[in-house]
Amino acid sequence: MTGALELHTEEKRDITLRVFRFNPQVDSKPYFDDYTIQIEKGITVLRSLNYIKEHVDASVSFRAFCQAGICGSCGMRINGISKLACTTQVWDELSKCREAGIIKIEPLRNMPLIKDLIVDMDPLVEKMKQYSNWIETRMPESEIGKKEFLVSEEEFRKYDKATDCILCASCVSECTILRAHKEYVSPAVLLKSYRMNVDGRDAIHDVRLGELVKDHGVWDCTHCYRCQETCVKHIPIMEAIHGIREDAIEVRGVRDTSGAKHAEAFMEDIEKKGKLVEATLPIRTNGVAWTLQNLLPMAIKMILKRRTPPPPPLVKPAKGMKKFREMFREMTEHVRAEQKSHKK
Amino acid sequence: MKRYAYYLSCINESMTKEVDRSIDLWQNDLGIEFVKLHESTCCGGSNLDYVSPKHFALVNGRNIALAEKLGLDLVVSCNTCLMTIRTAKKKLDETPELKKEVNELLKKEGLEYKGTANVRHLLWVLAEDVGFEAIRQKVRVPLKNYRIAPFYGCHILRPSMVLGKDDPLEPSTLDMMIEALGGTPLPYEHKNRCCGFHTLLVAEEESLNVAAEALEEAIEIKADFIVTPCPLCHTVLDGYQAKALRQANVNSSIPVFHLSEMVGLALGYTEKQLGIKRHIVS
Repeated sequence: MTGALELHTEEKRDITLRVFRFNPQVDSKPYFDDYTIQIEKGITVLRSLNYIKEHVDASVSFRAFCQAGICGSCGMRINGISKLACTTQVWDELSKCREAGIIKIEPLRNMPLIKDLIVDMDPLVEKMKQYSNWIETRMPESEIGKKEFLVSEEEFRKYDKATDCILCASCVSECTILRAHKEYVSPAVLLKSYRMNVDGRDAIHDVRLGELVKDHGVWDCTHCYRCQETCVKHIPIMEAIHGIREDAIEVRGVRDTSGAKHAEAFMEDIEKKGKLVEATLPIRTNGVAWTLQNLLPMAIKMILKRRTPPPPPLVKPAKGMKKFREMFREMTEHVRAEQKSHKK
Repeated sequence: MKRYAYYLSCINESMTKEVDRSIDLWQNDLGIEFVKLHESTCCGGSNLDYVSPKHFALVNGRNIALAEKLGLDLVVSCNTCLMTIRTAKKKLDETPELKKEVNELLKKEGLEYKGTANVRHLLWVLAEDVGFEAIRQKVRVPLKNYRIAPFYGCHILRPSMVLGKDDPLEPSTLDMMIEALGGTPLPYEHKNRCCGFHTLLVAEEESLNVAAEALEEAIEIKADFIVTPCPLCHTVLDGYQAKALRQANVNSSIPVFHLSEMVGLALGYTEKQLGIKRHIVS
């Protein structure tokens, strides 16, 4: 009873920030320094770090600027999750500590470390360049400077949320596939590509999309939703990734990639049987040679355990397929009619 | 006996038949009855939504309408099917024009998507409706000597605005289920991470790296087995385990159980009855 009362009235307490330290020029390996300071309720992690730098240990290095969640400089992992230090309340972190009263502060993941909490953003910037994440105007040169390029509200809504991105790289740090392969495009870059690709003023949509559908591009995302879940601006990043994929398949016909073939197989199978025909999915995605080379040893093991998916003729269609197929095809007509009216 | 409509996931109909087989064994023991929806179709596996958003709404509006026709909630035992069908439900509930368009077509089959049925994971039904206390009382063979790594998988947690049962950063329902069955849930960093399934055929090397990390940690913390509520995660962690660990130069292995098998074991069914012998890693 008194405990609860104390917690309620308490406004200051000693809290430890356990900070990741590593200076590659001096240290042979990373370590943690504990800084225990008295912190008032309402203080952010960034202000606590600033206090430590000014009063306790000037050698602690981190990036920060606006202190208001706008510039995106102070991305770091706080108690294991990538977020902004300037918008994170120390008090809110106390319930998330693995060890009571100790807040763990580490650099963002998936980017090269420079020192302590500072990571190298250059690889991310390089990827922005690789995927041409800027607008090249469609306006003829003779009109530039003489005419406004108006954007309709409807068009703006398509990328309104995406423009909220402040490039803090929290999503990059949390990305599953980037962790598995450093050449992967990464969520922040995909979000920016989506934003550019739906902008009607842009002239290089096809160049960008051509790069996005290559290896390590948009098809390598594994739909884990970690990026979206961590986004400090609550941007639905997966919707942007799906938007690029939809564009690649439906609108521009960039179908000749394993990712697109894999996705389209679902549509095909649902229309035919109502069920996914898993046995031929690898072949339809990557061809016979790849399947034999990559999956044959496992297929043998699976046959021995009777785990192989049934061959296509033995996949039992869902009940009532006749009516279902009619509906499905009628919906296809709806979609076609809509696409026609869009083209007009 | 509480009744639910049960969605037939493609993978459970083909590669992981042991999931539905084990549920069939114990459902009555726990006072629940699953009515299988033989008319239900593939949800689109988190692909149809961008291949054709309209077909995605139709197919899953229909899947839910089949349950609504019976006046029952829809229960799903695959994470990705769960996330996919719930995403469609959210779209239909938030977009009246889309709902109308879908219902116009569903009329042909005498169906209507109303939005009344809830779409729930098997794990949630066990936790919320049956309850851990009731489950504890039904346990015949407590898993008391087992140290278990709970692997939740992505699509039972994220996106949280569609799922919303567990905290995606600190999920606990599967841990509590392990405890109710008498086992010890281990602190497991990879519990809310990805298995890599959805890129297996597109970026295999990356997927196997992802899977290997989760497997390695479970081996390191000396878990007796990994348990997962998702047959897709199981397919990677069990079926692709040897390949993933070979790529990561790890010379070891760890069994992976489905949630439904773990429940079955504690309720006294044998490995053979539950289909555990069908796993690649024994």
